[in-house]
Amino acid sequence: MHTTSPRRRTIRTVTLGMAAAVALAGCGSSEPEPSATYDLGTPVAGEVPEGVFEDVTLTFAGSGGIFQEGQTTAAWTPFAEVTGATFQQDAFDPGKLKAMVESGNTTWDLVNTTQFDTARFCGTLYEEYDYSKVDISKVPEGTITDDCMVPQILYGLVVAYNTEAFGDNPPTSAADFFDTEKFPGKRTVSMSQYVDPQMLEFAIVADGGDTANLTPEQIPTAMEKYRSLGDDVIGWTSGAQAQQQLESGEAVMGLVWSGRGYGAAAAGAPVAPMWDEWMVMVDSTGIPKGTKNLDAAFAAVNFYGGAEQQATMTEETSYGPINTEAKPELDETLKTWMTTENLETGHYPNVDFWVENYDALATEWSGWVTGG
Amino acid sequence: MSSATRALATDPALAAPPAGAGPSRRSRVKWGPLLLLLPAIAVVTMFFLVPLVDVFVRSVTDPEPGLQNYEWLLTNPVNLEVIARTFLTSLVVTFACLVVAYPYAYLMTIVGERARAWLTLFVMMPLWTSILVRTLAWMVLLADTGPINDFLEAIGVGRQPLIRTTFGVALGMAQVLLPFMVLPIYSALAKIDRRLLSASSSLGANGITTFFRVYLPLSRPGIFAGSITVFILGLGFYIIPSLLGSPKEAMVSSLIYQQVSVFLLWGQGAALGIALLVVTLIILVVFNRFVRGASLAPGVEPE
Repeated sequence: MHTTSPRRRTIRTVTLGMAAAVALAGCGSSEPEPSATYDLGTPVAGEVPEGVFEDVTLTFAGSGGIFQEGQTTAAWTPFAEVTGATFQQDAFDPGKLKAMVESGNTTWDLVNTTQFDTARFCGTLYEEYDYSKVDISKVPEGTITDDCMVPQILYGLVVAYNTEAFGDNPPTSAADFFDTEKFPGKRTVSMSQYVDPQMLEFAIVADGGDTANLTPEQIPTAMEKYRSLGDDVIGWTSGAQAQQQLESGEAVMGLVWSGRGYGAAAAGAPVAPMWDEWMVMVDSTGIPKGTKNLDAAFAAVNFYGGAEQQATMTEETSYGPINTEAKPELDETLKTWMTTENLETGHYPNVDFWVENYDALATEWSGWVTGG
Repeated sequence: MSSATRALATDPALAAPPAGAGPSRRSRVKWGPLLLLLPAIAVVTMFFLVPLVDVFVRSVTDPEPGLQNYEWLLTNPVNLEVIARTFLTSLVVTFACLVVAYPYAYLMTIVGERARAWLTLFVMMPLWTSILVRTLAWMVLLADTGPINDFLEAIGVGRQPLIRTTFGVALGMAQVLLPFMVLPIYSALAKIDRRLLSASSSLGANGITTFFRVYLPLSRPGIFAGSITVFILGLGFYIIPSLLGSPKEAMVSSLIYQQVSVFLLWGQGAALGIALLVVTLIILVVFNRFVRGASLAPGVEPE
């Protein structure tokens, strides 16, 4: 001690402080508690025994707005009432989920995410489903695309066109979307942060390709097809903006989420969907890895998929139901925009291909949305 | 070394004893002031150093050990373009702030106490307003159908693209960064002995010569401190470029956000973050090395 210079002492103090801080930072993670198990018998979509989850709190992280509110009205609140569970709502963020799971501190039990993310991170960020605990017999065929998901909504990437511009001679194919001579005017397509591989598949379909047989070389070519539209293409960075561009007539055609095309039409804009070729999309209900309420989460997904719940969900949100027996009461406008009425002309995404080529997809997409 | 430790070192009771002084003198070192540093060190370590090391480690281990994330960074033209765009935007903002702030700060030195208080208030106001509220206000003002364009049309200039342009982004950023330029320059200008200006003119220099030969060189520390602060803060902007710009104005923080929160490619996001840090440090060191009077730590006077 006597021989220590003040300089060295300062260094020692600094080191001591750092060590304390590192030790504190390390205290966060601990062994996860095992999830409680419940025997609820054979599941029937939309049904759950009364009072079984009295002491359970479930948290759903969704996409916000009328979408999450509609889901809550249709399924989460009734589920809480029947089972006695407490249902909490939060806003989903994929980065936050990854941080949660990595730190062993999962506080979400159900999330609304993309079908590509549940496929990419099945078993790492998302729990595998035990499909004996969720009734999936009424889920539309071909929409369960990996072992960590049940679809949450069935929507689509659809061409919405202005009927005043093209009412007499509407576009009837993906190729027409790129034909600026026959269909002059600005098109709006996604420049949103949220990657939609279906947008690339749409361009590939327009070139006569098949989403079932994709090759990595087609990824840059597909993006180039949008670039080749030059000044005729404008971008939307959010669903609300897509809707606004269609409503104002700034875009005479748009490749937009079906709910946003409907939104423009419902607001009175002369906008109609082109169902001849469209891209089927579903969102996944994912269960974050390490949830403490796995069985309750399965029961909630099973309840959410009931015909009645899905009918209400569709009426509240305008998104297509994931139960083939759901009979929502639709007005004329919504009926013309309902994806589930047009499934035979939809192209289904090649999820395996995009999972395998995700890096190339991410690179192309970030180039597109940053104007590169 | 922080100014606090330097203060300790210059305290006669704490400074290293002159050669030949006995050990008895050394034992009188006080621990108290050093212990006061512990909270600051703990906070910096826990919330800055540990995460920074974590980010670096991720950039070379996620998804697998190796330099593939940096290879991706350097071989993907989009990354380089966006990084270059980020530095360019920040540079434009720094110049814009400098041009506005210098005369403003000068005005602050020649007016009375009361007027100076008002001038300070005006420049600080944007800093005290929520960033979202302020950016929304700019969106309304700059919109294609907004009041500025209405005015331009009324006087016959015609509507101009303002929002979703680099100009719009730079304007929004410059407004919020202005105080970081005005205040250091003001403090440098306020210290200038005005008798030197009289001396200059009494020796026959005209106003312009006096400004460039006497006044401007004396204000250099303020200019450098302000410019470096504004430039570095500008590099990290996210909300303003995304709301006032189009995708073509996106800066590196939005690329990082996308890698981290959308693609979940944390290794690539981490590599982008480290690259931004390294390039910034290189620029600072080069700047410091070649420009006389520049300081790496604005506000801390070189000894």
